[in-house]
Amino acid sequence: MSDDKLLIVKDLTTTFATAGGDLPAVAGVSFDLARNETLGIVGESGSGKTVLSRTIMGLQPRVNTTVSGSSIIDGFEVVGASENEKRTIWGTEVAMVFQDPMTSLNPVMRIGKQIDEALRVRLGMNRKDAKARAIELLELVGIPSPVQRYNAYPGQLSGGMRQRVVIAIALACSPKLLMADEPTTGLDVTIQAQILNLLDELKGRLKMSVILVTHDLGVVATRTSRIAVMYAGRIVETGTTRDVFYHHRMPYTRALLESSPKVANKSHTRLVTIPGRPPNLLSLSDGCSFAPRCKYATDQCHLVRPELRPSIEPGHTFACWNPLPINAEATLP
Amino acid sequence: MLRYLTKRLMLLVGIVFVISVGSFYLIHLLPGNPATVILGFGATPEAKAILYRQLGLSKPIYLQYFVWLGNILHGNLGVSFISQTKVSSVVRSALPIDAEIIILSQIMAFAAAIPTAMRSARKPDGIVDRVLGATSFTLLSIPPYILIVVLVLFISIKLGVSGTGPSAYVSLGTDWITNLESLSLPAFTLATVSFVVYYRVLRSDLIATLQEEFITMARSKGISQRRIMWRHAFRPSAVALLGAASVNIGGLLAAGFVVQYLLQIPGLGYTLILAINESDFLVVQGIVLTVSVLVVAINFFFDFVINMVDPRISRE
Repeated sequence: MSDDKLLIVKDLTTTFATAGGDLPAVAGVSFDLARNETLGIVGESGSGKTVLSRTIMGLQPRVNTTVSGSSIIDGFEVVGASENEKRTIWGTEVAMVFQDPMTSLNPVMRIGKQIDEALRVRLGMNRKDAKARAIELLELVGIPSPVQRYNAYPGQLSGGMRQRVVIAIALACSPKLLMADEPTTGLDVTIQAQILNLLDELKGRLKMSVILVTHDLGVVATRTSRIAVMYAGRIVETGTTRDVFYHHRMPYTRALLESSPKVANKSHTRLVTIPGRPPNLLSLSDGCSFAPRCKYATDQCHLVRPELRPSIEPGHTFACWNPLPINAEATLP
Repeated sequence: MLRYLTKRLMLLVGIVFVISVGSFYLIHLLPGNPATVILGFGATPEAKAILYRQLGLSKPIYLQYFVWLGNILHGNLGVSFISQTKVSSVVRSALPIDAEIIILSQIMAFAAAIPTAMRSARKPDGIVDRVLGATSFTLLSIPPYILIVVLVLFISIKLGVSGTGPSAYVSLGTDWITNLESLSLPAFTLATVSFVVYYRVLRSDLIATLQEEFITMARSKGISQRRIMWRHAFRPSAVALLGAASVNIGGLLAAGFVVQYLLQIPGLGYTLILAINESDFLVVQGIVLTVSVLVVAINFFFDFVINMVDPRISRE
């Protein structure tokens, strides 16, 4: 295992037992992440991004969930570890910024206490030191008058402020890996940029690796070095941000890029959408999951699932039988 | 917060007033004449009529009510027709017994309901949850007054647990150990009635709370399961529990009356039932007023506590 890899994910699979049968939310995902690297995971709703990010750190639901494969964070194998074992890396090695700041903070606990808790329980700080550090953290994430805010309840803060608190909690024990699961989805557009810039800045300052999960390609375009595109629980294309944007081979990536609205568009330009709907994970075919919605699909696509294979650029892989030609031009979002 | 509580308080004063009017009228609908009870069945109708007038019972009911209300506002609950003791001292000697039984029962009920509900919620539909669920459902389907009779019969008569039988009551001042012994059975029976409600309410709320995103968030901090349960899940779930307790208290006082009567414990309930049998109107009215004030005050107290537990309530 090379030392420059902070995270190694291999064949990670998460299956939920539901009334309708086994639902493979994540189906055999492999990738790795270097130290100080930022990886973007993109895909539409229901593609398994959130489940993947939780499974990587072992935070999947504890009932009716089966995980297989391997996820190694800084030498610690998460898959198969007990809750007590995983607790030793949560907060200190890996932490998560949750999607919706309206629901991810405890509504009846003062925000200061919610930050303190991690410091006191995980780092063994005393009450006074923890409070001082919590106020420092609030300041770090850009909350004005942190001493007063320390005693506020989440309900007394705006969405943007709450998300800053969520980030402060995630950063409390200086994790090496930060999972940001759609950190800006619940926020106003103007606040989104602020939060993303804050994450970017903190990443550099605190020397973290970041996995940025989002459905918004605009978010990952300038902030990640690599991108993995997910569809129906699998990675269907991965490469450097540049390759994914300009040299993508997988028609789904193209469709995803085309469906983000562009500033350069004239007013009243009809938004491009991907026809059809994401597949029902309970009844997947043996072929490519995207085939039913793909205009290039052939019989082979419907019958045999394509595996990831390399493109010409180093580290650029895609899963498609009928890929777009090399150097296919795509417009930037 | 202050505004919210003031509003509640004014509402509660109104409720007490309405109860006092209603109960005053209802008592006078009861058959029975206190004059007959005092003078005995051999008394002449003339003597009874004179006493009846002396007691102030010949006036119209609404006038009697205003006289009584005027006295109340002067802090005077009147005097018992039968024993000639002041109603206030009757209440003062009986009330602490009810308070003690209720407090003991609530301590037992919460002490049992909170850990069991947490245990159930940790694995819904697990074996422990099913057993507890079935037990609590069985207990819930038995009306409290029957459950009480059965428990009293079983524990005090059949098992013969010492100091729990009828007339075993010893006051707290005399000997507190014997006092606790004598009140343990009534407290236990009331605790059983409360436990069922508290367990079920808290269990379902905990299960809902544990699905919340902030619980996953707490998990991701790497804190213990126990801490998540107590610090993160319990408090938001406790609101419904406190609400249930607040509603439950009124019923509990009534259930307490049955237990007191069965075991002849001289609390408010026992005294009230004796007073009704003797048509001792002012004692009945005094106790009804005390109990309604008590229920209202307890509700107010719970409102206050719920506000402390969940700061969202008074803000909305």
